[in-house]
Amino acid sequence: MNLLENLLRIDRKIIFIVMAVLVLFPLLKPLGLGVSSGPRAKAVFDAVDAIPPGKTLLISVDFDPASMPELYPMLVALMRHCFARNVKVLLCGLWITGAGLADKAITEIPPEYGKTYGEDVVYLGWKAGVDAVILGMGENIKNVFPVDYYGHPLDSLPMMREVTRLKDIPFMVAISAGTPGFSDWLLYAQSRYGMRVGAGVTAVSAADAYPYLQSGQLTGLLAGMKGAAEYEVLVQKNGYSKAYMPAVAAMDSQSLAHIVIMVLVIIGNLAFFATRRKRR
Amino acid sequence: MRRTIPLAICLGMGIIMMAQFFIPHPVSVAFYDLTTKWIRIVSAFALVLGVGSLILYHIERLQRKRPGWIYSIVTLTALLITAFIGLVWGVKPGSPLQEILFKNMLVPLNASMFAMLAFYMASAAYRAFRARTKEAALLLIAAFVVMLGMVPVGAAIWGKLPEVAEWVLSVPNMAAKRAILFGVALGAIATSLKVILGIERGWLGGGKG
Repeated sequence: MNLLENLLRIDRKIIFIVMAVLVLFPLLKPLGLGVSSGPRAKAVFDAVDAIPPGKTLLISVDFDPASMPELYPMLVALMRHCFARNVKVLLCGLWITGAGLADKAITEIPPEYGKTYGEDVVYLGWKAGVDAVILGMGENIKNVFPVDYYGHPLDSLPMMREVTRLKDIPFMVAISAGTPGFSDWLLYAQSRYGMRVGAGVTAVSAADAYPYLQSGQLTGLLAGMKGAAEYEVLVQKNGYSKAYMPAVAAMDSQSLAHIVIMVLVIIGNLAFFATRRKRR
Repeated sequence: MRRTIPLAICLGMGIIMMAQFFIPHPVSVAFYDLTTKWIRIVSAFALVLGVGSLILYHIERLQRKRPGWIYSIVTLTALLITAFIGLVWGVKPGSPLQEILFKNMLVPLNASMFAMLAFYMASAAYRAFRARTKEAALLLIAAFVVMLGMVPVGAAIWGKLPEVAEWVLSVPNMAAKRAILFGVALGAIATSLKVILGIERGWLGGGKG
């Protein structure tokens, strides 16, 4: 049995070990490849940057812990951007498993900027019935969420006196890992109430968002960890934050992981065609 | 009668809701508001149906000792424990449901499951991604361009690579995606009309009318 045949029968544990080492190495010793921001992420950044101080950005946390490495940095970077500019943040979610993640962000980020819950940030929580929730929020947020995630009546929160329905919110970003997600916000909030919508999605679902970008229904797009890293860079470059950038740090790992997969595919193909020719 | 009344409600509400979309009158808006409240209430019942269906499915697997029945015990036990903790201590932040089950169990388990995907993808790509035909070779090249273009190392190799990846996503990918979307949308419209007009009756269930 020659080398190529051996390569085709390689134990998958070896592939796993190679992948693990190359993913871990840049996390311990960053390669510093650097991230440049693309036009899609810049469009989201510009839309958030255009929100006047005192107004509100709506963020829909439509993901679960499985997508946390890709999507949670987007949520954090968006919140930092808003708080640095004195823009208020309203959070809600269409995924019940995202409730704890939004709560984590609420606990960690506002104190960095001295922001108060109820005045600068509110988390509405999760409700069943995706389309009915969005349509209901279009008419009156209080009808859908009489109390916030923590049980405070919405009337008791100063921020919610100025934000009663979707029309009061100049821009929103739906951070989604699938369905329900940004497409539902486009379908109901954008088409019915004319709301401007940006999206943050996992890399695998980025291709689904492109038709909505060209049609102008989506204002901008943060695609996968790269999108999160681009937004982190934009926030830092514009002086809104000096915090650690987890997505930027993880991009070196992702670079090496992609290269490993490509090298493996090339080796696999070379070995396959060489052995096939030999068999003939 | 059991079929006629739901069909009449479906026909009436279907036509009213279609018309309502184009009528901005306060009465129309109030009716729409009331309807969305009803939808939310009915959606909550769907959760009960879902849990009931899950329990029945796994009990049947256990009774018949189907392959992997042991995992049904895990599912049912997890369901019961989660429901018990939620009912006794509530679901508010700081409750055992949030602190123990969500933060310390669901988050790491869910993240681990997704993290393992990279390893299986690498192994599967090595074994299965073969350029056997011209179409497969084209797909392989497009995948390589996008994979490299979406990470910083791509720009380090060739500065124009991210732009080429963007073109692949914005032109050929989008053309295909748009065609699929149009197909899905037309299919959804046709199915909706069939349901509203009572031609498609699968949603009524299999009982006698």
